[in-house]
Amino acid sequence: MSVLRAEPEGAEPRERFDALSWLTTTDHKRIGILYVCTSLFYLCVAGGIAILIRTQLSRPENTFVGAHAYNQLFTLHGTAMIFLMVTPFAFGLANFLIPLQIGAPDMAFPRLNALSFWLFLCGGLVVFSGVLTSGGAAAAGWTAYAPLSVLRVAGGSGQDLWIVGVLMVSIATILTSINFITTVFIYRAPGMTMWRIPIFTWEMVATSLLVLVAFPSLTADLAMLLIDRHLGGHFFDPAGGGNPILYQHLFWFFGHPEVYVMILPYFGVISEIVPVFSRKPIFGYTGLVLAAFAIAGLSMGVWAHHMFTTGAVSNPFFSAVSFLIAVPTGIKFFNWIGTMWGGSISFETPMLFSIGFLINFLIGGITGVMLASPPIDFDAHDSYFVVAHMHYVLGGGSLFAIFAAMFFWWPKMFGVKLDEVLGRWTFWLMLVGFNVTFFPMHLLGLAGMPRRVFTYPDAGPLPLLNAISSSGSYLMLVAIVIFAINVVVTARRRVPVPADPWRANSLEWATSSPPPEYNFLKIPPIRSERPVFDARHPELAAETAR
Amino acid sequence: MNAFGAWSPPTTQAALLRGDWLVFLWTGLAVGAIVYGLILFALLRWRKRDDVLPRQFRRNNRLEIFYTIVPLVLVAVLFGVTYAVERPVESVSQHPDLVVRVVAYRWGWQFTYPAQRITLDSNGSSTGPQMVLPVDRTTRIELTSVDVTHGFWIPAFLFKRDAIPGLLNRFDLSPDRTGTFYGTCSQFCGLGHALMHFSLRVVPDAAFERWAGSAARAS
Amino acid sequence: MKIGLRLFLSSAAFSLVIALVYGFTTHDPTGTVLLGVMTFAMTFAAWYMIVAEREADIWGDAAGATMREAAGESIGIYTTRSVLPICLAVSVALIAVGLIVSATLIAIGITALLVLLGLLISGSR
Repeated sequence: MSVLRAEPEGAEPRERFDALSWLTTTDHKRIGILYVCTSLFYLCVAGGIAILIRTQLSRPENTFVGAHAYNQLFTLHGTAMIFLMVTPFAFGLANFLIPLQIGAPDMAFPRLNALSFWLFLCGGLVVFSGVLTSGGAAAAGWTAYAPLSVLRVAGGSGQDLWIVGVLMVSIATILTSINFITTVFIYRAPGMTMWRIPIFTWEMVATSLLVLVAFPSLTADLAMLLIDRHLGGHFFDPAGGGNPILYQHLFWFFGHPEVYVMILPYFGVISEIVPVFSRKPIFGYTGLVLAAFAIAGLSMGVWAHHMFTTGAVSNPFFSAVSFLIAVPTGIKFFNWIGTMWGGSISFETPMLFSIGFLINFLIGGITGVMLASPPIDFDAHDSYFVVAHMHYVLGGGSLFAIFAAMFFWWPKMFGVKLDEVLGRWTFWLMLVGFNVTFFPMHLLGLAGMPRRVFTYPDAGPLPLLNAISSSGSYLMLVAIVIFAINVVVTARRRVPVPADPWRANSLEWATSSPPPEYNFLKIPPIRSERPVFDARHPELAAETAR
Repeated sequence: MNAFGAWSPPTTQAALLRGDWLVFLWTGLAVGAIVYGLILFALLRWRKRDDVLPRQFRRNNRLEIFYTIVPLVLVAVLFGVTYAVERPVESVSQHPDLVVRVVAYRWGWQFTYPAQRITLDSNGSSTGPQMVLPVDRTTRIELTSVDVTHGFWIPAFLFKRDAIPGLLNRFDLSPDRTGTFYGTCSQFCGLGHALMHFSLRVVPDAAFERWAGSAARAS
Repeated sequence: MKIGLRLFLSSAAFSLVIALVYGFTTHDPTGTVLLGVMTFAMTFAAWYMIVAEREADIWGDAAGATMREAAGESIGIYTTRSVLPICLAVSVALIAVGLIVSATLIAIGITALLVLLGLLISGSR
């Protein structure tokens, strides 16, 4: 048991906040925390924007915000949530966890790691700096389709600042992926074979590989957009021999893998949390790993399922491959259920949010399979049905997993345990609020409400469904406020946290909470994907080794 | 506006599309029921009751293969249904009874009936022009845009197609019942995107001839 | 064969198959080129791993290894503090914003970038 008391004798907690050390740090744990805090900041910004959007849409023909302001709002909401919140949070979590989970002292390239964070931070600020320009921020949607995004009237310098800001964030993401893959390949501790690394780390390897092949397509597309906007290019202009469809191909070749970049890490989070609170090993470890790479690989071949209504792509090819992706995703679902099956399940907040993930993501997955069928897309594309689908997987899925991850790893990161009672309030308000906000959107799409509209006619069920949806969003706001209160209240309590407060499995729980700068004083023997569990239960060593 | 008007499909294409929707809806509900059932069962049956460590099993090869094969077969069937519906819906007839050209622009619609010499335009109104079509006839729509990408969407027909500059999209509409149907732009196109509506009125042959006559004189 | 190598080899094989199927069924040049570039990238990574890592053996891959056996091995020098990353990021931001707003900013940004890269290179000698 002594191996788990990793606190060196006489260690002093850091007393005063030293800003300069945070600006010059290359410690993966601090960089991870910087990412997490920055993405939570953007969650508040983009979430606040969402409240404004839902307020405008709460009544038909509302005048809370005008069309141009609204177009900037949904553009920034999508951009911030996708580029500045969901992915950076995952990368921050991975930054903190990967070296700990594989028994390494830091990432392979610490300064590159720090560079990635600061590029991300600066890039996000550049994107939002568009708000300060006379024409306003970018207003062509997070997808910035050409020819709309080429038009100067659709956004002047705001659109250009959006382009260069997103380019900076893309480069940061690519650099971090290089770091992750190298670290996992090279810096594993003795005995930590690839088939013993935690599922979260495996998911991050798959995610990083996806980033490497997908993001360059975006950077090329945005560079071509800049050339069309300012250097007399005609890549996307039919009058000059170009083709708007080219923009869409390059965008979605990035865009589809991007959504898997936004979910695979969170599949990893669920795969870490469910075994701990079911008191059983993860079921089907090999299947989960193979499924992750099947999803990643297939996701490179489905991009034009976002283009089914253009009439310019082979619908059958993309439909077939899109259906195939449902199979490995289903395998993961069954493996999580298999983990809970025959277990001893308790319902601490991380587990509540993980169960919420399963409930919500299933709906998102089912509507995703529906949307893979072009005949369904012919009605649902560009309607609120798609808005519902994407929010169920990203909000109901990734966001719930973000909360699960925060409640689970907060003690390890900050040496503070979040309050369980406030956590339960957050969970239930979030679960109800989320479903009240987004379930009606399926019906709104079927009733004929398109996406990206600042208002809608006072007809049919649109006013009622929109009012219900907006009320749900205010519930979500309350949930987030309660979470913020939780953070502040527990930060002041200063109750010390042991190395392994959850009786968990992977290597990060073998060191103090928070870990010392060098990560591990002593690493326990690694004979399976649960070295900390094995150290707690030496009597099971023979049957649990991998 | 038709609220869920699509559930009584007004075109032959929409009938097929609705069939596709229903197959997927029922399949989705069944899959959802099964998976939610399994989750609920597991959570209730194996709640933590004591500190005894449960049996630490981590795999079951036959089960894992089973839940790989079954979904694979299921999606193959779903793809088959999809393909069987999409082909007839997208097929364009060699001899349509009527041709209407639709041009989308920021922010309105222009409908031209070349044979009847009719031109209709939004003319700045958000309600937009009304395309009149004869029932039980096949109308060919030829769709394009003159500036950015727009979307020609008739929710009641369960159908939309993008209007893309430099591209001509062709599809057939075969309405088989009369009525008035709402349409709107579905692809974000800037400030006026939310105010770019139109409508479609399906009438018997005789009424169509009368309308065409007066519309041609007005054009 | 190392898992990393197997990963890139199978990714390359998969990319090739999907690029061929896509190219022959759709005749779409855009997607075929994109998938082809992906195939090339994966193949390059796999080739490099084969050529460069023939002799590489890491303690992490030794399933029965203990910490004691690997103790004393130096795995590299980690820089724990550096002002370069934040300064590099800010200079890139200046170039990016300068492209849109003002040529002076570009000049400042590029100068700063070159100085910092110089510091980086000289610092690692």
